[in-house]
Amino acid sequence: MSNGKSTQDWMKDWQAMQKQYWTAWTDATRSVKPEMPDPATPWHEGFEQWARLFGDSGKQSETLDRLMASAKGYTALMQSMVSAAAGKPFGENPTQAWADAVRQGFNLPGVDAALLNNPMASMLRGIRGEGARGFEELSASFAPFLAQAKQEGMSWLQAPAFGYAREHQEHYQKMLVAFAEFQEAVKQYNALIMKSSQRSFEIFESKLAERAEPGRQIDSLRGLYDVWVDAAEEAYAEIALSPEFRKVYGDVVNSQMRVRSQIQQEVERIGVDLGMPTRTELNSVHKRLHDLRREFRKTYGADAAAQIAALHAEVQALKHELAGKQGRSAPVVNVATPAQKASAAPKHKRAAAAAKPRAASRSSGPSFSDAISAMKGKPVSAKPRRSAK
Amino acid sequence: MNPIRIDPQKALGEAQTFSQKLAAGMKVLRSLDEVDYGATAKEEVYREDKLVLYRFKGEKKPTAKTPILIAYALVNRPYMVDLQDDRSLVKNLLALGEDVYLIDWGYPDQSDRYLTLDDYINGYIDRCVGAVAQRSGVDKINLLGICQGGAFSLCYASINPGKIRNLITMVTPVDFHTPDNMLSHWTRSMDADLFVDTLGNVPADLMNWCYLTLKPVRLFQQKYIGLVDILDDKAELENFLRMEKWIFDSPDQAGEAFRQFIKDFYQANKLVTGGLKIGDKDVDLKNVKMPVLNIFAEQDHLVPPNASRALKQHAGTKDYTELAFKGGHIGIYVSGRAQREVPSAIHEWLAQR
Repeated sequence: MSNGKSTQDWMKDWQAMQKQYWTAWTDATRSVKPEMPDPATPWHEGFEQWARLFGDSGKQSETLDRLMASAKGYTALMQSMVSAAAGKPFGENPTQAWADAVRQGFNLPGVDAALLNNPMASMLRGIRGEGARGFEELSASFAPFLAQAKQEGMSWLQAPAFGYAREHQEHYQKMLVAFAEFQEAVKQYNALIMKSSQRSFEIFESKLAERAEPGRQIDSLRGLYDVWVDAAEEAYAEIALSPEFRKVYGDVVNSQMRVRSQIQQEVERIGVDLGMPTRTELNSVHKRLHDLRREFRKTYGADAAAQIAALHAEVQALKHELAGKQGRSAPVVNVATPAQKASAAPKHKRAAAAAKPRAASRSSGPSFSDAISAMKGKPVSAKPRRSAK
Repeated sequence: MNPIRIDPQKALGEAQTFSQKLAAGMKVLRSLDEVDYGATAKEEVYREDKLVLYRFKGEKKPTAKTPILIAYALVNRPYMVDLQDDRSLVKNLLALGEDVYLIDWGYPDQSDRYLTLDDYINGYIDRCVGAVAQRSGVDKINLLGICQGGAFSLCYASINPGKIRNLITMVTPVDFHTPDNMLSHWTRSMDADLFVDTLGNVPADLMNWCYLTLKPVRLFQQKYIGLVDILDDKAELENFLRMEKWIFDSPDQAGEAFRQFIKDFYQANKLVTGGLKIGDKDVDLKNVKMPVLNIFAEQDHLVPPNASRALKQHAGTKDYTELAFKGGHIGIYVSGRAQREVPSAIHEWLAQR
């Protein structure tokens, strides 16, 4: 629980605030000369209190976070729309006036100036949390390195490197150049998102104009909100499917990857200095392992097994033919495959292995030797193995 | 005429109702336990690396002689096909007498970064097909590929036409360059080599973020506003949370497989333009000569209908059937309509072949 308050205390506070607020709004809507409540106490504050209340509970907290974020935005929008509905008549251009009310509803008190009149940017910025992290969050992990690099100044970006720290300086120069390119790409991206927001209000107004016909008028806040959502998605799709967006999106992704790559190199350098294992080394091991597995399958896989079987049959046929000519039977030669050899292993060993708990035997699936058989291209029947008795 | 006739009193009442529902619903939300998923009993029949092949157990023995193997996408968990008791493609197929197997790809980690499409298609899928065929005592099985798993299934069927009796594709992208394919549009300027060389495996959270940004307002705000309407209904709320869990329960993507999928499928569109190779095997959709049932969703924002419809002109089969489902990419498994229409359509189509 936040601030040491009990659930009951929070409930009382919230209910009191709600009551006070709804009373004020009810009075406002009934008044001939409306007096709006203090906008410094917007509705969504109540929800923020709820978010704080439930924030520590852990249960469904991600869903709760998303719900609260959406409710907050929607409530601010409702407040703006109710305010518009309770205010004076809209006059000659009601469509424009409603659009303005909706636009204002996205500008929550205290909102980042960059997000003013830019609901799409707010929406995109809001998409984060467990299960969804975008490029912005990826950037956060390397912020300290960039801060350090920045402290050393952008001015020497183009300066020639020399001396014992030459490599180090060049590396930092590359990192900062990459970061400057990334920032420029993000700027271009944000400009397109702003364009999308502006376009969404144009489409919204045209959609509202279509609803002026009798029988199609909007009579609820939710109905109005849903029309705005349609308009916003339509505007976003227009921009997002444009050739310009394709280029800018690619620039954002590629430039960020260049920044990350430079930082990874720096981290690896430090790791090597400290004698720590690095990602590159692990990658190398993993790659070799996969290459070996492929080589193994190629050697012992289905095709190879078929070829060996064919050769074996041919040898046997030749031996029989030879034996026939010599008037005696050919000696039988058994060429055991590794799997056959395994099955011929001492039984007590297999029994002991079956009785011994191991990771693979937690399930009723095939054993490791079954998996090896599978790697040789032979499908495995995975009936539950009998325990050794 | 004014397009909006919102009465101030009514508007206030609406806002108040929203607020009250939200407040009351919080209690319900807080009281719920973690939701579970999976409605149908299943047994493990094969395991390799992180992959597990399951066979589902119905209430009665299957009557179909040829089993169905479901190959799901790598980008989400496969339990969407058996989400809950009343939303289960698997359960409904079993009830109709089908014998259903499913590949669970697991969650790749950094040690899987070098898994390629060759490993997935010519390796894992091939060995699963072999395991299912051997267990069922048949030479050919029915393969049901979903989304990316559908694209994999097309590749597999093209390379191994002798192992697949019937091919079913669901919400499967075939032509990746249709003008309405936003995901494809965004990937075209991406440097896939730089991306994978830098990230290694592709984080699931980044993939999810990318999907959400396809329709940011609808998927990140409107959906949760709609949630308020059902906050007082525990059963509906559990359904919502189960779906939410599935959406964000995503595996990371093995880097090399992702690299090839982006370059060959999304960027070069080789499934339809030709020249696609999986390992050392050529993929030519003209080799897909077995009967094909292609099911797609008319309101699919991830795989636009035209991206799926393209299969008709590129597959070599003379027995091609198309089923357009009224719904979206997810609704095709979990909506009420899907439960009524999709399993029976698959069963009837198979029964005729």
